Amino acid sequence: MPNAEPPPVVIAEGIGHITRYFLREVGSVFWFVVNTFEETLERIQRGRLPFRAASFFRHTERVGVDSVPLVGLVSFFLGLTMALLTGYQLQRFGTERLIPGLVAIAFTRELGPLLTGIMIAARIGAAFTAELGTMQVSEEVEAIEAMGIGPLRFLVAPRMLALVLLMPCLSTVSNIAAIFASSLVCKAFFSIAFPYFLDLVKDSLLIRDIITGILKSFLFGLLIAAIACYRGLTVKGGAAGVGTSTTSSVVSAITAVIGFDTLYNIVYTTFYPT
Amino acid sequence: MSTPLQMVELRDVHMRFEEKKVLDGVSLKVEPRERLVIMGQSGGGKSTILRLILGTLRPDSGSIFFKQFEITRLSRRKLQRVRRHIGMVFQYSALLSSRNVRDNVALPLEELTDKSGSEIDKIVDEKLELVGMGDSKELLPEELSGGMRKRVALARALVLDPELLLLDEPSAGLDPVIASVIDELIISLSEKSKVTSITATHEMDSAFRIATRMAMLYQGTIIEEAKPEEFKHSKNPVVAQFVSGSTEGPILEGSLDAITKK
Repeated sequence: MPNAEPPPVVIAEGIGHITRYFLREVGSVFWFVVNTFEETLERIQRGRLPFRAASFFRHTERVGVDSVPLVGLVSFFLGLTMALLTGYQLQRFGTERLIPGLVAIAFTRELGPLLTGIMIAARIGAAFTAELGTMQVSEEVEAIEAMGIGPLRFLVAPRMLALVLLMPCLSTVSNIAAIFASSLVCKAFFSIAFPYFLDLVKDSLLIRDIITGILKSFLFGLLIAAIACYRGLTVKGGAAGVGTSTTSSVVSAITAVIGFDTLYNIVYTTFYPT
Repeated sequence: MSTPLQMVELRDVHMRFEEKKVLDGVSLKVEPRERLVIMGQSGGGKSTILRLILGTLRPDSGSIFFKQFEITRLSRRKLQRVRRHIGMVFQYSALLSSRNVRDNVALPLEELTDKSGSEIDKIVDEKLELVGMGDSKELLPEELSGGMRKRVALARALVLDPELLLLDEPSAGLDPVIASVIDELIISLSEKSKVTSITATHEMDSAFRIATRMAMLYQGTIIEEAKPEEFKHSKNPVVAQFVSGSTEGPILEGSLDAITKK
């Protein structure tokens, strides 16, 4: 009868393979970003625009303007829920005036960038991977390369820049939507009027909370764009490959966003304890 | 060391994709203004040779020269500059699906030159007229037939006035008239504009029409290089079978036996 349990060596080997694959992928994405920067800077050094403004604005519209309803709505609902749930708990101790500060700090520092990151990874990351992946399998990327045009500069740089610049804006939208939602809950259920709500938010929010959130958003934007574009340009295996890469792109980007958020928080709280 | 007399030279190039050995010591020289046709079976490595010359693939060993540049040793930046002198027509045209015909052809000019909008328009019009696609400027690639796409791809490859033109199956899937038009265009380009061309094809009619020299790629090596007339009457059994399209001969010997037995 065959032994049902795999021997320890097989397990260790499996872990080794996964770790090697993970490290190789991390390295590849890192060099992908470095090469994109390099290709873009080379172009700028030659005194030329790295990509056309129209191409950049097309991406900013898609990443930014078109994502506002989704980000705004989801954050609004989450703000409502958070204010309601925390409000009833705090009310028992008569401290419901803490709700505005709680929601404001939680969103500006943590939930705004994180939620936006997850939503954008799913909405835009998937689109970037599918788009570039389709171009890759239909030889369009190779054709661009064949003309002597750097595909990283031409295809990746405008997408990456759009995402990096627009993520903080979308996080801000998320923060405002959530804070606005909690102000409605405070008014309706806990008798906190708007002017008082605003005072409480202003009193509790620190500049460093806002800066932390903004910095995180930049980082998440870069991460999502890098992973999505890398996965798109490394698609293999036709239409099925595009599908697999798109799924993998969304999963990796969301995991990376949450992972980096945790890492960021650990580093931040270690060096700048509250 | 390379001699600048050659437009392209491959020296003992080896290439394998995973387990499959595609090129097994290919050496080839292409003189300026020559129209070399590389023939061989589908999947035999013809397109790979074109991609190696273009530098989008790197060989496992061997060297490839374009004029005085050793493609295999160039940095990415220099390779991009060299590629501006090479035009490539892909087998499936590889037009950018999100851009219309005009924008596809204009792309190299917009990205790589300092020409003004009106100059670009003029060149694009001229190249599109050359391939007979002047009235389809606003159409998207998905609205074009296979032959039209190929002609647009050719116009795009010619837009920077390349010295070397690489054509991957230029007449595959085209009707005989359009195929002849494209063949004539390739011939006139080399005669009037001194463009050197390397064409990978297994369409015999087209090959004999275009070629000033032919090379047969078989099992990863060039087994015969000759002028079309000599090629037609080659004594090499593989070449003879390929030219005649016969089932009798060394190509696919084992596989054909298996098919007939079934």
